[in-house]
Amino acid sequence: MNSVNDRSRDIGPFVPGPDDDMLICRCEEITKGEIRKAVHDGMWTLTEIRRYLRTGMGLCQGQTCSRLVKGIVAKELGISPSELEPAASRVPMRPIEMEVFANEAPDEKEGE
Amino acid sequence: MKTTAEVVIVGGGIIGCSTAYYLAKMGVDVIVLEGSDHIGNGGSSRNGGGVRQSGRDVRELPLVMYGIRNLWPTLSEELEVDCEYHQDGNLRLGKTEKHRDILTKLADSARGAGLDVRMIDGDEVRAINPYLSDEVICASWCPTDGHANPLTTTLGFYKMARRLGVTFISGECVKELRVIKGKIRQVITPNNTYEGESVLVAAGLDSREILTSVGIDIPMTKSLLECLVTEAQPHMFDQMLGTAEADFYGHQTKHGSFVFGGSSGLERYNKDNGTPVSSSKTAPCICRGIIKYFPDLAKAKIVRTWAGWMDASSDGVPSLGKVDEIPGLYVACAFNGHGFGIAPAVGEQLAKLIVTGKTDVDLSELHYDRYKAKI
Amino acid sequence: MKRYDLVIVGAGPSGLSAAIEAAKKGMKVVVFDENEKPGGQLFKQIHKFFGSKEHRAKIRGFVIGQQLLEEAGEAGVEVVLNATVIGLYQDKEVVVRKGDRVEHYKGNAVIIATGAAENMVTFPGWTLPGVIGAGAAQTMMNIHGVLPGKRVLMLGSGNVGLVVSFQLEQCGCEVAAIVDAAPRVGGYGVHAAKVARTGVPFYLSHTVVEAEGEDHVTGVTIAEIDSNFQFIPGTEKHFDVDTICVAVGLSPMSQLLKMAGCKMEDDPKRGGQVPICDPYGRTSLPGVFAAGDVAGIEEASSAMIEGRMAGIVAAEYLGYIDEEELKSELASLDEALNGLRQGMFAPQNRGKAIEKTEEGIDISESLLKNGYVADDEIEKYPGVTHKTGIHPVIECTQNIPCNPCQDACKKGCISIGSKITSLPIVVDDSECINCGMCVASCSGQAIFLVDESCQDGTATVTLPYEFLPLPEAGTKGKGLGRDGKVVCDAEVVSVKSMKAFDKTNLLTIRVPREYAMKARFFKVV
Repeated sequence: MNSVNDRSRDIGPFVPGPDDDMLICRCEEITKGEIRKAVHDGMWTLTEIRRYLRTGMGLCQGQTCSRLVKGIVAKELGISPSELEPAASRVPMRPIEMEVFANEAPDEKEGE
Repeated sequence: MKTTAEVVIVGGGIIGCSTAYYLAKMGVDVIVLEGSDHIGNGGSSRNGGGVRQSGRDVRELPLVMYGIRNLWPTLSEELEVDCEYHQDGNLRLGKTEKHRDILTKLADSARGAGLDVRMIDGDEVRAINPYLSDEVICASWCPTDGHANPLTTTLGFYKMARRLGVTFISGECVKELRVIKGKIRQVITPNNTYEGESVLVAAGLDSREILTSVGIDIPMTKSLLECLVTEAQPHMFDQMLGTAEADFYGHQTKHGSFVFGGSSGLERYNKDNGTPVSSSKTAPCICRGIIKYFPDLAKAKIVRTWAGWMDASSDGVPSLGKVDEIPGLYVACAFNGHGFGIAPAVGEQLAKLIVTGKTDVDLSELHYDRYKAKI
Repeated sequence: MKRYDLVIVGAGPSGLSAAIEAAKKGMKVVVFDENEKPGGQLFKQIHKFFGSKEHRAKIRGFVIGQQLLEEAGEAGVEVVLNATVIGLYQDKEVVVRKGDRVEHYKGNAVIIATGAAENMVTFPGWTLPGVIGAGAAQTMMNIHGVLPGKRVLMLGSGNVGLVVSFQLEQCGCEVAAIVDAAPRVGGYGVHAAKVARTGVPFYLSHTVVEAEGEDHVTGVTIAEIDSNFQFIPGTEKHFDVDTICVAVGLSPMSQLLKMAGCKMEDDPKRGGQVPICDPYGRTSLPGVFAAGDVAGIEEASSAMIEGRMAGIVAAEYLGYIDEEELKSELASLDEALNGLRQGMFAPQNRGKAIEKTEEGIDISESLLKNGYVADDEIEKYPGVTHKTGIHPVIECTQNIPCNPCQDACKKGCISIGSKITSLPIVVDDSECINCGMCVASCSGQAIFLVDESCQDGTATVTLPYEFLPLPEAGTKGKGLGRDGKVVCDAEVVSVKSMKAFDKTNLLTIRVPREYAMKARFFKVV
C-alpha cells in the first residue's frame, strides 16, 4: 500500500439515498447512511471508517460487515473495492473471557 | 496536487491534525503529510484515552491544565463529533505502602503546580468506584481528570481541518527536510517535494530520523505498548483509572466496552515485524492485572487487542516548540505515551506560536535542546 | 514451550489432508479445531461428491470426513477439538483456547487451513431473525437436527444454494423459490435440475426487494432487475416464507495469516483477502503455509488436494523428505488438482458465459434460466438415447470433472473416456442389466433407467430418490417433469435400496409411454 492519497480530491457531494437507514454493521448498529457520510467527512480507508464509526469493532470483528462496508466506501469514492485494503486483523480470533485469557497453562516440556 | 502552503505539517496524528485545525481556524494555509495510509495511525488511535493531569510531570502540567480548562469541555461541539469526553475524575490506585509513597509524591508535586489532587484511602476509593477490590488501599484522586475517545477525537480534528481547507495527503512518507538560504523550506518524500514557510514535525518516533536530515537530534527510544478492549458491558463507572505501578490503565467507554492498557514489563525489549504487533505474553498479563482490581470483569470478553509504539524520551516529557537554530522549523514529538489528553492544547498553542510567535502557556521547559549530560 | 513439527489450524478437508501427508512423512503433527466435531464443512455435506476415484467421488461428504479422521488417527496425527486458535504470533507461536485456559505452542511449521465464512447481502429486513446463511441452515439441519424453517426462499443459485435447497427439501422444508441476481444459474446444472424437478421455481435476474415481518421473517418480495441491477417496476413477486436463506458466496477466513504478518492481497477471483502464496501454499513467511479455502475459495475436493500439497511442502521445509521426493509427489498432486480444475466451472472460467459444451453442443438456455433442461433440448446430449428394452438415460449436459458413472456400469454401457469432463455417452451395442449402479453412482442424480417399450403401452422410469418416507410399490401418484410440474399419472413399480447404492434409493415408476422421456420425479398426490 502506501500510495499517495490526496484527501482533497473531489468526490462530489453527499447525496442522501433511500436505503441510508439500512443497518450494515449489526454488532454496532451502523447504517449505510452513516458510512456514506463518513466518507464525505474524509474517512477514505476502511481503517478510518472503522475507527470513526466502530464498524467491524463489535463481537464479530467485521466477519459479516467488512465486505459490505468495503463495497459502500468504494462506491462512494468511485473506486474498485479491491483498491481498499481491509482493516487489520487482531488477536483474539474469537472473543475470549478475561479470566480465560488470563489463565495461561504452565509450559509443558517436550514429551510430557 | 497542492505542494506548497504556508505551513507544512509532517505527521497526520492527533498533534498534526489538531495543529492543522487551529491554524486553519486562523486562516492559515496548511498541508498535512501522513506517512502511512491512514490518518491518526500511530499512538493517536492506539492509546487508552486518558485526559489526565494527575500523574504528569510538572513541566507539561500547565499545558494539559490549559487544555482541560479551555478546550476539552467544548471539543465535541467544536469538532461536530462525539469525542466522548468525560470529566469524572482519575483514580490512580495503590495496593502497597510503596505505591502509597509513589502516589503521594506525585500528588504533592502536582498540588504545588496548582492541581487539585489528593490522596484518599481504600474506603474512599470504593465510595467513588464500588467495583474495586479490597486489594486497593489508597489512590490519588483528581476530580478534574477524565477520558475521551481518541479515535473520534483525532479523526474529528482531521475532519474539521479538512473542511476548513487543509490539504491532507496520506501515503506520503517524509524522508528529508531541506533548509534553503538559512530557512526551513522543503519537505521531501519519495514522490514529491513540498514547500512551506514553516514546517512542523509531529511524526512521533519517525520525527527523529526526519529531523536528522537538518542536523537536529531528539533522543527517543521506542517501546511497544499494548491495549485491549472488551465487548460492551452494562454501565459501571465513569472515572479514568491508573495504577501506581502503571501496570494497567483504562476506562469504560460510552459504548460500554472497557479499554485497558497495560504492560508485561518486557515492553522495551519486545520485537516487532515492522508493524506494531501484540506479543503473546502481554494481554494475558493485563487481564490478570485487571481481574485483581476488578473481580467483576473476569467474565467480560476481550474482542480485540492491539499494540502501538510509544516514543519515549529520557526525561518522560515531550519536545515541543520552535527550533531556534532553524527559522521556520517547529517540533512536537516524544509524548511518552500520554500525548492524547494534551493534544488539543498542543495543537492550539503551536498554531498560535507559528502564527504569532507567542504562546499562552510557557513551553520553555519542553524545549527540544534541553538534553544535557548528567555531570 | 511445547513445540510440534507442524501445527495445523483447522480440521476440515484441507487441514486433515495436510496432517495425514505430513504425519506419513514422519512429522509430529497437531491439528487444532474450534469445533466440537472435526471435519469442517464435510460433516454437513450429505450429498455425494463429484470427481474421480482419487478425488473420492460418489462418496458422501461426511463419509469422506470419517475416512480422513481414520487416516489421520492411523498416521498418528493428534487432533484437538474445542480448541480455538485465538492468535498466530511472531515466531510461529500459536495461542489456543482450550476450555477455561489458553495454551501456547510453537510449530517448526504452521499450516493455516481455517476455511471460509459466508457472505451476506443487504436488503430491507436483512437483519430480521429468519434471514440466515445457507451454511447456518446446513449446520442446523445436518449437525444439530433442527429444522431452519418451514417455508424457505433461497437467495443464490451457486452450488451451495442448490445443494442446501435440496437438503432443505429432504428434511421436510418447502423451498418456495431459488432466486439469483445473476442471469444464469451459478452452480452445476445437475444440482439445479434435481431441485427443479421437485417443483422449486427458479428466478434468475431477480433479487430480494424486502424481507417482511416485525420481529421475524413472515414473507419476502423479490423483483426482476435490469443489467444495472435496478429493480424493474411491476415485476414484484411475493412469497409467504418464514426463512430466507442466503447463499451468496464465501470469503476466506484469513485473519490469522494477516495478523501473523503474511503479505496479503485482495483477489476477487479467490473470494477476497487471501495470502500471497505459491500454488502449494507457501506464504511470504517462511514455514507458514495456507491450504484450502483460506487461500482461495474452491470446494472440498480441491481443498483436500491443496492440503496434501501443503503437508508435503511442509515436510520438505523441515527436511523430512528431499527435493526429489517433493517434486515427484507434487507432480502427481498437480495432476489430480488439474483434473478437478477442468470444465465449464473451472476457476479459469469463472464469470465466463460458456455457450457450447466441449463436444460443440449448445448449453441449455433453459437449464441456466430455469434450472432444468427443456424437453425439446434434452435429446441433443449424448447420454440421452433411445433403445429397445431398458437402458440408461444420462441427463448430464455440462462439462464437469466427474466420472463415477463410467466405472459403475460393469457392462460397459457408459463411457466418458480419458477426458474427465467429457459428457458421458451410452455405448452402442451394450447391454443394460438394470442393476441401477449408474443411477446410484451419479452424484448429480442425472441418470435414469428407462424402458420405453413395455407391452401394455406404458414405460418404466427408474429414478434416484433420496426422500423419506419411501413410497411403497403400488403407490399411485403423479409423474413430474423436469420442470417439476405434473405431467402424468404414475405408479411405483418397485423400490430398491441396497448397501451399494449408499442411501440413494431407486424408485421405478410406470408412466404412459409418451412420458418416458418426460417424467423425472414422483410425487404422491
